[in-house]
Amino acid sequence: MYWLPKDRVRLLVNRLAESYAVYGPRRDEVSGEVVYDRLEGLERLDLQAAIPYNPPKHALLPQYEEILKYLYQKQSQKVTIEKISKVEPKALVGLRACDLNGILCLDRFFLGQEFVDEVYLEHRQKLFIISNTCVRPFPQCFCVCTDSGPAAGEGFDLDLTLAGQDYLVLVGSRKGQKLVEDLGLREAGSEAQHLREKIVAESVSSFDNFALENKAWVSRATNRLTTGFIKPEVWEYIGNQCFECGACSFVCPTCSCFNVEDVNRVGGPTDRVRTWDSCSFEGYTKMAGDHNPRKPVEDRRNKRFFCKLSYSQSKKYLRPGCVGCGRCARVCPGDIGLPNVVTYIRREITGE
Amino acid sequence: MKNQLVPIVTMPEVATVVDIREEIADVRTFYFTFDRPEIERAFRIRSGQFIMCTVFGAGEFAVSLPFSPENDRKHISVRKAGKVTAALHELQPGDKIGIRGPFGNGFPFEEIKGKNVIYVAGGIGLIPLRSSIVHVLQHRPDFGRMILVYGARSSRDLMYKDSIREWQATRDFETYFTIDRPEPGWTGQVGFVNQLVAGLNLPAENTVAFVCGPPVMFNAVIKELKLKGIKEQDIYSTLERHMKCGIGKCQHCAIGRTLVCVDGPVYTYRQIKTLGEQI
Repeated sequence: MYWLPKDRVRLLVNRLAESYAVYGPRRDEVSGEVVYDRLEGLERLDLQAAIPYNPPKHALLPQYEEILKYLYQKQSQKVTIEKISKVEPKALVGLRACDLNGILCLDRFFLGQEFVDEVYLEHRQKLFIISNTCVRPFPQCFCVCTDSGPAAGEGFDLDLTLAGQDYLVLVGSRKGQKLVEDLGLREAGSEAQHLREKIVAESVSSFDNFALENKAWVSRATNRLTTGFIKPEVWEYIGNQCFECGACSFVCPTCSCFNVEDVNRVGGPTDRVRTWDSCSFEGYTKMAGDHNPRKPVEDRRNKRFFCKLSYSQSKKYLRPGCVGCGRCARVCPGDIGLPNVVTYIRREITGE
Repeated sequence: MKNQLVPIVTMPEVATVVDIREEIADVRTFYFTFDRPEIERAFRIRSGQFIMCTVFGAGEFAVSLPFSPENDRKHISVRKAGKVTAALHELQPGDKIGIRGPFGNGFPFEEIKGKNVIYVAGGIGLIPLRSSIVHVLQHRPDFGRMILVYGARSSRDLMYKDSIREWQATRDFETYFTIDRPEPGWTGQVGFVNQLVAGLNLPAENTVAFVCGPPVMFNAVIKELKLKGIKEQDIYSTLERHMKCGIGKCQHCAIGRTLVCVDGPVYTYRQIKTLGEQI
């Protein structure tokens, strides 16, 4: 491990900016929200800021992305199809452990199944990741329940943990090693590992009661949900609370469903675009001829919870699909963010 | 089967519509060949797979493949049902389409050699079954009894009339046809497909059944087949879903814990029952 004095973070980021578009958390001046986005001015990077409103998934899976472009000239029967490739190398700085785990879920899903998603792969190959330990949990957080925080375990190039006035830097890759050497960071002694563990343990113990109490319940909910031992009334209640707004999907670090559409430019070529989609939308499964195999309350509005918690999905991600960031709970107008759903299932079991 | 081409995953391959045939109202068959000779030569499918077809300027849709993996003209049969399929129906011979695929698992072939094969189709449900029917016919000595039960609303709604005529004249292929209401000149049965199935002497041992048609017909037929003693794991069907990618990433076609595009589209009835969603 290495030491990075707080005031040298700028140096690190400037170095990254030479070869990467730098993404990081910053406070939005108008709304006051912490957003995770490309940093126009590097001085806006705020590593102490609370967990950002949005996860970093748009860096890998943009909300609207042109994946190819074609032109069909009918007169001459000539078709040209071109792959659109404007993926730039990105450095994701100050990633919270939950969000890094979210990316690892996306990796396993997009790169580790029957097919490799070439579009995702291109984004992924050009990432530099610097994670940031949450030395204090935030009120919405429950990553201790989903084994995805408050500190990163894998998947980073560099990992930062604030210890007093300095960051402890853990190296996770050759790229990361090269960067700390280039910056001439001071090597930390053998006490560093212990110090980091202590900081993480302190953070874990300061989680809200809500998160600590639910710790065992996420896995119990998973069990119930997989084996089908949840009463239809519970799903019905949850289904009736859902507005089908899709906000939970959009702020979820692991939700990755997309739509594909061909968009004609006036007098020019057609773009094939991918856009974010959500399984809670009515049109998601609607087929031509208006046949919709999913019923709204029973099938559609609870689909997402199966995706996050059931064993079969967990097999794809090699962990639960929920990383405990608490964002869905924050944005849901119907009060059925994932933590609440776990609570409803828990109440059903305990009869509280 | 080992001779499968690595599917065309991201960039559609350009193909030319060489011939168009009017099948029934709103359903046309489009014969196509790939523009690049190396793709035309290498393109291989399994019965029961599907492709993603691009109608340039309109979009892409998933469609089952009705042609045999061997010695059969490449074609798709498509009902005009939405925006993209309507645009497809506007095409003329010589026009271009884009193809990705083939995707999906396909019907069993090697595994069912030596068995009796029953096909039960309703309406345009014959489209995805045609590939397997033709393929099994091409290897007829390898299989036991071969039976087709096919029904449609009226005689005008029967798909692939040329193929049907050929099949009726084929020895060792028992074919039964039914339409919902009587018509002058109709010599087949009258009634629903399940009623026709109920009245037939079907083998149950060492038998597989392939069923495809509208949900109401499907459920009624399954009931009859089970009464005949055919096991749930020996009844196969192919499912349709809204699909956007074909490669298991967009997740639109998720049913239960499976994705129709990679785990399907062919499922046994035993699997379908456990998926927990209507078909």
